[in-house]
Amino acid sequence: MRYLLPYIRKHGMLFLLALLFVSCEALCDLLQPTLISRVIDEGVAERDLGAVLRFGGVMLLVTAAGAVFASGRNILASRVSQRFSAELRGDLFRKIQSLSFINFDRIDKASLVTRLTNDVTQVQNFANGMMRIFAKAPILGVGSLIMAMRLNPELSWIFAVVVPVVGMLIALNLNIGFPLFAKVQASLDRLNGMIREYLAGVRVVKAFNRFDYETGKFAGVNAEYRGRSETALRVMAVFNPLIALTVNFGIVAVLWFGASGVSKGGMQVGHIVAFVNYMTQILFSLMTISMVFNMFVRAKASAARIGEVFAETNPMKWRDERFADGAAGGKVEFENVSFSYGGADGETVLKSVSFACMPGETVGIIGSTGSGKSTLVHLIPRFYDATEGRVLVDGRDVSSVDPRLLRDKVAIVPQEAVLFSGTILDNIRFGNERATMEEVYEAARVAQAHEFISQAPEGYHTRLGQGGVNLSGGQKQRLSIARALVRKPSILILDDCTSALDPTTEAALKAALRTYAKGITCFVIAQRIATVMDADRIIVMENGEIAGIGTHEKLLKENRIYREIYRSQIGEEMESHAVCE
Amino acid sequence: MPSANDASRGAPAESKATVPIGPGGPRGLRGGPVQKPKNFKGTVRRLWSYFGNEKRRLAAVFAFVLADSALTLLGPYLIGVAVDAIADTGGVDFKALDLALLALVAAYAADAGLTFFQGWLMAGISQRIVERLRSSLFAKLHKLPLAFFDTRSHGEVMSRLSNDIDNVSTTVSQTTAQLMSGLIAIAGSLVMMLALSPLLTLATLITVPLVFLLARTITKRTKRLFKEQQAQLGALNGHIEETISGMLAVKAFNREDKAIEQFDGLNAKLAETGTRAQIWSGFLMPLLGVINNIGFAAVALAGGTLAVRGHITVGVIASFLSYSRQFVRPLNDIASMYNTLQAGIAGAERVFEVMEQEEEAEDVRGAAVLQGAKGHVVFDNVSFGYRPEVPIVSNLSFEVPAGSSIALVGPTGAGKTTIVNLLTRFYEATGGRILIDGKDIREYTRDSLRRAFGVVLQDTYLFSGTIADNIRYGRPEATDAEVKAAAAAARADAFIRRLPLGYQTPISENGSNLSQGQKQLLAIARVMLANPSILVLDEATSSIDTRTELQIQAALLDAMKGRTAFIIAHRLSTIRDADRILVIERGRIAEAGTHDELVRKEGGVYARMVASQFKPVRARAN
Repeated sequence: MRYLLPYIRKHGMLFLLALLFVSCEALCDLLQPTLISRVIDEGVAERDLGAVLRFGGVMLLVTAAGAVFASGRNILASRVSQRFSAELRGDLFRKIQSLSFINFDRIDKASLVTRLTNDVTQVQNFANGMMRIFAKAPILGVGSLIMAMRLNPELSWIFAVVVPVVGMLIALNLNIGFPLFAKVQASLDRLNGMIREYLAGVRVVKAFNRFDYETGKFAGVNAEYRGRSETALRVMAVFNPLIALTVNFGIVAVLWFGASGVSKGGMQVGHIVAFVNYMTQILFSLMTISMVFNMFVRAKASAARIGEVFAETNPMKWRDERFADGAAGGKVEFENVSFSYGGADGETVLKSVSFACMPGETVGIIGSTGSGKSTLVHLIPRFYDATEGRVLVDGRDVSSVDPRLLRDKVAIVPQEAVLFSGTILDNIRFGNERATMEEVYEAARVAQAHEFISQAPEGYHTRLGQGGVNLSGGQKQRLSIARALVRKPSILILDDCTSALDPTTEAALKAALRTYAKGITCFVIAQRIATVMDADRIIVMENGEIAGIGTHEKLLKENRIYREIYRSQIGEEMESHAVCE
Repeated sequence: MPSANDASRGAPAESKATVPIGPGGPRGLRGGPVQKPKNFKGTVRRLWSYFGNEKRRLAAVFAFVLADSALTLLGPYLIGVAVDAIADTGGVDFKALDLALLALVAAYAADAGLTFFQGWLMAGISQRIVERLRSSLFAKLHKLPLAFFDTRSHGEVMSRLSNDIDNVSTTVSQTTAQLMSGLIAIAGSLVMMLALSPLLTLATLITVPLVFLLARTITKRTKRLFKEQQAQLGALNGHIEETISGMLAVKAFNREDKAIEQFDGLNAKLAETGTRAQIWSGFLMPLLGVINNIGFAAVALAGGTLAVRGHITVGVIASFLSYSRQFVRPLNDIASMYNTLQAGIAGAERVFEVMEQEEEAEDVRGAAVLQGAKGHVVFDNVSFGYRPEVPIVSNLSFEVPAGSSIALVGPTGAGKTTIVNLLTRFYEATGGRILIDGKDIREYTRDSLRRAFGVVLQDTYLFSGTIADNIRYGRPEATDAEVKAAAAAARADAFIRRLPLGYQTPISENGSNLSQGQKQLLAIARVMLANPSILVLDEATSSIDTRTELQIQAALLDAMKGRTAFIIAHRLSTIRDADRILVIERGRIAEAGTHDELVRKEGGVYARMVASQFKPVRARAN
């Protein structure tokens, strides 16, 4: 949790100031019982209206002062805690943006979102609470302790018994409570997991009419969660009454031993009453402190989760190398590249891949699902670094180049079209902020998106919901292609991004792309041979290795796998065509 | 003098849900925002109905609280008796003291016991209520039409089932007992005060309207601010979700800085509003303290005057002062519980919102059970649309003879999937009718209708559990031998047996330990075991490479034998063998016929499609 140090350093002064205000507030609170007793003892009891007015007035003044301090710490605490959490959240967001995909494989994205939102709030709540009520409790407790001990040192030994016992109870509470709540949290995860699974598979559930089964499964998880929460809450329900009982027995002890003190002489009745009063105040603060610890346990868990993200480091390093200006470039070379997601011990996804392609060349990549096609192209913009071997772009080893410079040259259309909320125009310009309207139109036309965009009531200014929910799969893919085109990259990667397009649209797209992408190095991943067969060269991937490389005709002649793929798609089709022509 | 007992109620045992610290600070950023409930009373009444037979236990809690409150009043009294015994003019009266202290010990012990049992009971009550609420929400999900799930993000539905219900749980467990004891304390103190001196009671009551006025003035302002804060929180969360789930695009296009810039803007706005909301709501407590002390001073002043004139005794004033404290404190507690209460009610409201969603239509009376269907399907002038002016499918009529296969092709968004969704009654046709074996599908029970179908989707969904569990999903009572037979028929047996644990291999989250093709084979085995009369293949092989598809195709051909089959696909290889092909465009049938017929049709849509898919191949081949 060292990452919290800078924030403490930065906000420490204001935090302490807030604590000072709370202390003053607590002091005003501490003065109240004394003033009340004086209103009664010196005013009412003596039938002295003047004294009632005087002490009543002082009491109101103290109250007003207390209110001023309270308002001051309120403003301070609000500002500090909000600023702190805003900075923490901002820094965490920046950190996440700086990480690479290797890191994201370790902490899943859903969890990252929770950490940025829920966990930061937990920590903020704790910091805010510290400045608001929690600091007051120990001050009031210690203050009461001192006042009581000064009042009557003879009776203070009772504190020496009560305070450690309560301390033990609080410690026990924490030790027993923490694992119990951890169990609750675990079954909450299971509950959420079950719901997530149900929602994702709702079609299947409906199709097979398995409601009873799902309901039974849910009832089990739900009951487990209920049972665990119940147990945790019930066990916790023991502690507060026990703490109260301990302190209350202390009060009885005060009365008992006080009585013998009075009987022997040397102790006053009024002191006993005051002592009892202070005991009560101490009890209140102990209760609050016990609550603080409960909060602390939760905040600690959240702080640790945030700390995990801060502890991640982007393993990618680079030297300050630049690409030569002006030259269009686009040369890509793979030299004996191997890759595995789990580092050196992981399962190898790519095995000694070597090839080179010249600027302006179009390379098709084909192979079965899981053969390493996407992984291969993800190494070009340096989403991952090769485990062995080198990837070179325009003659430079990508592992020594700033990924940002690299990604300026490379545009990728991912397999899954990811869009953002905002207008269609925003989404296309996502690829290139400085693109003119003309360039946007051109990219959209090539991507076969212009027509459907123009038909939308607000055209390019149509707003998309989160993730582009209001578009069809094919429309999303076309926008995602337009976004990459408008970047005018020197290397364009199309990762099986036309699967939702019907053949007519896809053919039109291919034709338009051929003119637009002249001079651009293109990598086209596809499952349909028709998509890649025009490529200058086709790489056939099989189990992470290059099984063949060459033109369509060459592969058809020499490569068994390619021939199989070809036959599976086209062989018979050609025959049937031959018949009808 | 406040008794020790109150403190134990003041710090209720916490549930695992978030406990707001500052009045109304943001509770968890995701979902379940502290919103203003729209219909407070109605929601509370509805929530009350979920208390069911907990009402009796709640009565027990109430009795405990009542007894506890009595003990709370007894404590100070007994201490007073003890003090009097100590202060006895003839030296300490040890006999009276012993008695008083024994009574005090008993009272404290009883109080601790009562508090514990109250906590014990309340934990059970609140958790069971929440369990019930969650189950009935889940049960409701079953009855909702598919359109509900298609139009909402999973995260939103999830947050209602977890976050919002947790808010309800926190509210029920934290505020119920506190509210009760508060009300009892107020009533008890009021009675005692009236009995002591009606005139002084009046002096105490002057603060009550002040408390309400203050609470209203502040909450009016904070209400707006909190609402604003929730909206900004929503925007920030949206941005976070989007940038993190779209990380690939953000990084690929070097948009990190832009994302951070946007984040900073939203974050700063949120912090600003949050600060203002917190400051305003934070004023409530200290100002309430001032009002309390004003009331206190008023009592002392009025009492002093009355005592000086000899109307009342000093003892009365002393008791009165402590009762007036006891009277005002619960008022403050209730005022400060306001935010927790609001959050809980708002949560309940969001839950009830789902409960009010329109369900799938009930089976008609005397609905027939569709069993051993032959699979003769007729679409008779069927239309469908979410809104009448935007039809998705219009005036569709066609017939599928039992045991034949029909392929639906056409551009994305043409309405192909909608057609099969209508057939399985995932969606209800808004016009026309669909007949199976000569009978309108609405006249069958929904359950038996869906059992007649076997659906294989593009994204196969596998549930956590073993491979055997997943195959059995459609027919849980199937024997191991039947499971194996189905797997063999689906060409899945071979790969399953190669796995170390065979059929007992656990499936990790959505089958990430299997390849796409293997998952699809399992889905086919699942359908084969269920033995439906009608097969629906919705892009069943689209995400599989074509060589794997060849194997699956063989399995599918087996599955289609003797069954009516609806096939949706882009790939011509998948559809050309269908007995009939319907080309769907904009929700209408553009062309119909066999592959050969349609290919020959000069300028036909299908012929163009085939040409565009194979022209390049032909061009090169020639």
